[in-house]
Amino acid sequence: MKNQANPWLTGNLFVLVLGMLPAIVLIGALLYFTAWAFAFSFTDLALVGRKSVEWSWVGLENFERLFTRRGFLESLWTTVIFVFFSAIVGQSVLGFLLAAVLRGTQSSIRSVVEVCIMLGWLLPDIVAAFLWSATTSQTGLINQLIVVPLGFRPINFINEYALPIVTIANIWKGTAWSYLLFSAALDSVSREVVEAAKVDGATPFQRIWLVQLPIIRPHIATNMLFITIWTFTYFPLIFAMTGGGPGRQTETLAVFLYNQSFARGNLGFGSAISVAMLAIVGVLSLFYLRLLREPK
Amino acid sequence: MLRTGFLTTVAAMTLMAASAIPAQAEVSFMYPEWLAALVEPGITAFEAETGETVKAIKLPGQGYDQRIALDLSAGTAADVNVMDSFMVSELASAGYLLPLNEPLNGWDQFEPYMKGLLEVASYQGQIYALPTDTDVRMLWYDLSNFEKAGIPTPWEPKSWADILDAAQKLKDAGVQYPFQLPAGTKQAEAATMQGVYMALLGADVPEGDRNRLLKRDTNQWIGDSPALRRTFDFYHQVYAERELNPADLNYATDIGAAVRAALANDQLGILASGSWEDACLWDCNTPPSREERDALVAWTPWPGSGEPGTKATTNISGGWAIGVNANASDKDLAFKLVTSIFDLDNFKAWTLATHRMAVRTDISESPEYMADPFLAKATALAADTTGRDTVPGYQTVSALIQQATSDLVDGVPVEEVVQTYHDALVDEFGEEAVVTYE
Repeated sequence: MKNQANPWLTGNLFVLVLGMLPAIVLIGALLYFTAWAFAFSFTDLALVGRKSVEWSWVGLENFERLFTRRGFLESLWTTVIFVFFSAIVGQSVLGFLLAAVLRGTQSSIRSVVEVCIMLGWLLPDIVAAFLWSATTSQTGLINQLIVVPLGFRPINFINEYALPIVTIANIWKGTAWSYLLFSAALDSVSREVVEAAKVDGATPFQRIWLVQLPIIRPHIATNMLFITIWTFTYFPLIFAMTGGGPGRQTETLAVFLYNQSFARGNLGFGSAISVAMLAIVGVLSLFYLRLLREPK
Repeated sequence: MLRTGFLTTVAAMTLMAASAIPAQAEVSFMYPEWLAALVEPGITAFEAETGETVKAIKLPGQGYDQRIALDLSAGTAADVNVMDSFMVSELASAGYLLPLNEPLNGWDQFEPYMKGLLEVASYQGQIYALPTDTDVRMLWYDLSNFEKAGIPTPWEPKSWADILDAAQKLKDAGVQYPFQLPAGTKQAEAATMQGVYMALLGADVPEGDRNRLLKRDTNQWIGDSPALRRTFDFYHQVYAERELNPADLNYATDIGAAVRAALANDQLGILASGSWEDACLWDCNTPPSREERDALVAWTPWPGSGEPGTKATTNISGGWAIGVNANASDKDLAFKLVTSIFDLDNFKAWTLATHRMAVRTDISESPEYMADPFLAKATALAADTTGRDTVPGYQTVSALIQQATSDLVDGVPVEEVVQTYHDALVDEFGEEAVVTYE
């Protein structure tokens, strides 16, 4: 095949490199931070003190410590629970149910509910954290309105059920996204298909399970991909609500990473944690991307 | 045509960017909100005198330590910074702070600074920051809750057992937070200083630094000792075994505000804290009147553990300081801002109004200061005090101690917590820098 490119361009390496420069800069900028974290995960770089300027290579030590020291595996487990219940079960399922139910309702009701769902999403994390802390405290709204009037002793929710509370807070915060996505996805399912299924005698459950869900499968996978990635690395709400506590009960990987990097000041170890997180999220993403493919 | 348009755009943007950079250097300054009453009049005086503007960055106290370390190491810190004094040597050893010996010798108000207190803010013979105050630590208690629990006041505990007994009585009387002992990573330095170190100092005999985190003559961190185990067991009693305090205040969105609210609402029994609470019980910048405060709370020194040979009462002092960024754009101007804040009139007014412990003799020896009943008692406590192990590495050790208290809150056995702490010290500093006591 004949080479279509200008011979002057292909023969001149300097011009070629010059032409590629914007692409190299862009890709370089994108890779820089990941490469930085990756490189420093093999060092003992510290945030302050001598080791912040005179760091040295320590090989795989930081990665070994992920498994031999208390912290990482515990936080990984906490993160898995948090992601599973707040994102995958909570936000996705609730978002889908809301989208499915609200489809058939009047547009005015639908608008009111939509605005209510969106409010949680639009509220800044720190404000949401204050609200949830205040609401679930021993003197908070839930105790005042429900627990005490029913004759029970007030419950210190945030102290006794810290992980369930932050999980619920995150469901409240993030359901809007899943709702919007599923709402749009369900709108794209043509009425004819659903009508046809109805004519063929499919029950409402069958219409959702066997007709609509398979059609919006790519949307489900995309939604899972997004919310898994950002819930896995989600930081502000938990940190502001509990700081990872009481004890380590809500110390997800993002909070653990923060504590190791900026409180303990061990950036090398912190980098190793972030590389491990990257690997885990990467594997999960591959899984979802496979789901995205159309079945043969 | 396209090329001309593009070039014109680039030129215009360059011009705009250039004009956005101010012709006059301004001084940036970062400080925590609770210190506003000291620094803000200083800023005003500085601006009036020099005609420069100060870019003031006022932050909440929560997470301030992490922010300052991160800003300085990333090169994005303000020109002048307020910091907890324990961080000074560490930040100085990394070259982030400007040595101040030379400019200080040219300042006519430097002489009255107490030399012993400057040591905390020094590294290898150079002073890197000027202290704002020093402090002592004690147990504050709520008078009405003590009455409710039938504990006679003034309360004078003689050992840890007395504290735990009182906490048990308060718990039985239905007080929600019988003994707020700072614990966990979100409490940061407060967990180390107000909690662990105050207990540790009374947990074993002082000989050979058996009651400290650092063996100071050899500069080795103590990875395991009877004192550490006793201190950790004390936490274990409070948070796990006897459940003498719910842990949630230590993890509140704003810990300071939550603790103060609990105290104001009579939900708190005993609070392990420090002399600044005399001003900060409600709001550090506008302290309550003496009568108002005395009707609600009182304080007592921390007793030792009661083990033979240990101290009868313990105390450790800290404090905050103001230093100049080594990369400050105009170092003279930056230093000038520091001296404006510490100018005698301003500094003295703040020290007296907020009942802070003075760091300068021209304030501490003034009649007004000596007439303050709280400061007189606090100063007596300061006669037998010690400082933190402010050698480089302390911040890391302190963070590991905070992690240990997190684990104790979770009910992890003391044996396991000590092992984790020891291993982490070895990870950070190497086997030869860690020592254990039988």
